[in-house]
Formats: sequence, C-alpha cells, structure tokens
Amino acid sequence: MLELLGTIGANIIGLPGILGLALGMMTRNLMLGAAMGGIVGVIETLIFAHWSFANVEMTELVIAVIIGICAGMLGTAIRIKGATV
Amino acid sequence: MADSPEKRGWIGRVWNAIWTPAVAFSSGFLLLAGFLAGILFWGGFHWTLELTNTEEFCTSCHSMETNLGEYRETIHYNNHSGVRAICSDCHVPHEWNHKIKAKIMAVKDVYHEMVGTISTTEKYEEHRLSMASVVWKKMKASDSRECRNCHNFDYMDFTIQEARAASEHQRAIDNNMTCIDCHQGIAHNLPPGYLERYQEVTETLAGTPQNSVQGQLADSSAEIRSYLTTQAE
Repeated sequence: MLELLGTIGANIIGLPGILGLALGMMTRNLMLGAAMGGIVGVIETLIFAHWSFANVEMTELVIAVIIGICAGMLGTAIRIKGATV
Repeated sequence: MADSPEKRGWIGRVWNAIWTPAVAFSSGFLLLAGFLAGILFWGGFHWTLELTNTEEFCTSCHSMETNLGEYRETIHYNNHSGVRAICSDCHVPHEWNHKIKAKIMAVKDVYHEMVGTISTTEKYEEHRLSMASVVWKKMKASDSRECRNCHNFDYMDFTIQEARAASEHQRAIDNNMTCIDCHQGIAHNLPPGYLERYQEVTETLAGTPQNSVQGQLADSSAEIRSYLTTQAE
C-alpha cells in the first residue's frame, strides 16, 4: 500500500504529473491531452529503467501512464476553463 | 441564476479570481512572475528535501540511536580517507522518481517513531530481521543501486584488492550477483537467521523454488562484514 502511494506521489511531482500537465495545457482537445500525458508516463518509466524494457516494472508503468493521462486531461481542462484561445 | 459576487463566500471569490482573465498584468509580467515564483518554489522544495537527507536529520529520532551506534563502528563512518557514506547515501536513491518514492514511503518511519515500535532495545531486536529484510529486498530488486552510486565493478582494480576480495568480486561478476548478496549487515548488526531470510528474499524476487539461487548467495557475509569493520578501526 505504502509502495503504491509512494509510486503515485513520485509520479505526480515527477515527469508524468508536471510535464503531462504542461502538455495538456497546450491543447483544448481532451483526448490529445490525455494521450500526450500517457506518452510522458511511458517515456519516464523507460528513462528510469535505463531504456530497457527488461527493467520496466509493470505496476510502475501502469501508474505512470495513469498519472500522465490524468495530468494531461487536467491540463486540458485548465486550458479550456482558463484561456480564450 | 449565479450568485452575485457580493453573496459569494471567500472560496467562491478566490475561485472566481483564479479563472478571471488578468486585466491588470501583462502576459510578460505574469510569465516572468510565474517563472520566478517557480524557481523559488522548486529551489525551496529541493533544498528542504536535501535537508531531510542529512545525517543529523536521520538520526534525530530516538529510534535511530541503535542504528547510529552500529553504523559508527563501520568503515562507512570512519576510514583512512575520510570519504563517508551517510544514511541517505545507502537508503535514499539519487534519481528523482525513486527518491520521491522513498521519501513518501519514509512517512512510515515517523509513524513508528511516534507509536514507539522500536523504542526499546528489546523491541528493536524483535524487529531487526524484518526491517533488514525490507532493505535487502529493495537493494536486491534495484541491483544494489545505492551501493553502485559509489562502487562500480568497472573501476575496481582487483590487483590491489586482497586475494579473497578480488576472487569474490570476480565471482560476483561471473554469476551476475549484486552487492547485497554478500554485504548484508555492512552498516548494521545482523540478526540470527539472517542468511535463511535473505535466501527467502532472493527466492521471492526471483520467483524460483528453493536452492535454485544458491549460487547467488555468499556463505561468508559475516566474515566480510567482520573484515570491513576491522579495517575501519
């Protein structure tokens, strides 16, 4: 449980959370925002696995992608709500 | 019909202010202010995080007195060169994602300090094996990542190592072993039955039946630890 919380927290203030949010804010398309966030989640997991799929832990990958998708969608929502362009 | 601004509570007014386009500030001002605020926030956050990595912070809890005493007897605390590895060097990863995960998980240490899980010597000894197992599991799973921040097989000169150390390190490379396979208890005392528990940890991680990972275990880690402690004296 603690491991899970730690992984979620690390991803929120890591690349998927921050870059996912930033990328999401660049579009008004919710699906595109989610996709960009999800891709960041995959890339981040690969970076920390030293670009080797053999070192990738499935739980970490799934959590990173989910956090990335959520952050991307949140970013898009912020764009829709907070910008006129 | 929406409430008029006067009728809104303070949460409503703050929410409204957040989403109202800025008319008093230019985009450049907001961009620069946000950039500076970001630097201040991130710098402060990172600085605070680093403060929690200091030896003083780690050993400020009563529960850590036993660990500290044992660590002070080892080569990682006191040695001929003065180069040291403090608590965070072995227990906190350097990479951002792993570091944050470790910091969040360390919240449990605060809880156990508060409830006094290991507040007495007896309680500490009772939990020693399970605490050690958690660390071994982490180190085995990460291929002793924190050890390798300082120690690297690629730069080890076996010719200036003791014959037994050189031969064991060569065996480690040949058998794809990791540091913790031999160096359990490198900084803390080992409880009875530690080898059996380490075997269990290894098998659990490998998902293999008993005896299949025997080749990856050292049968003399107590001797290695004893040797390193002697070198520190």
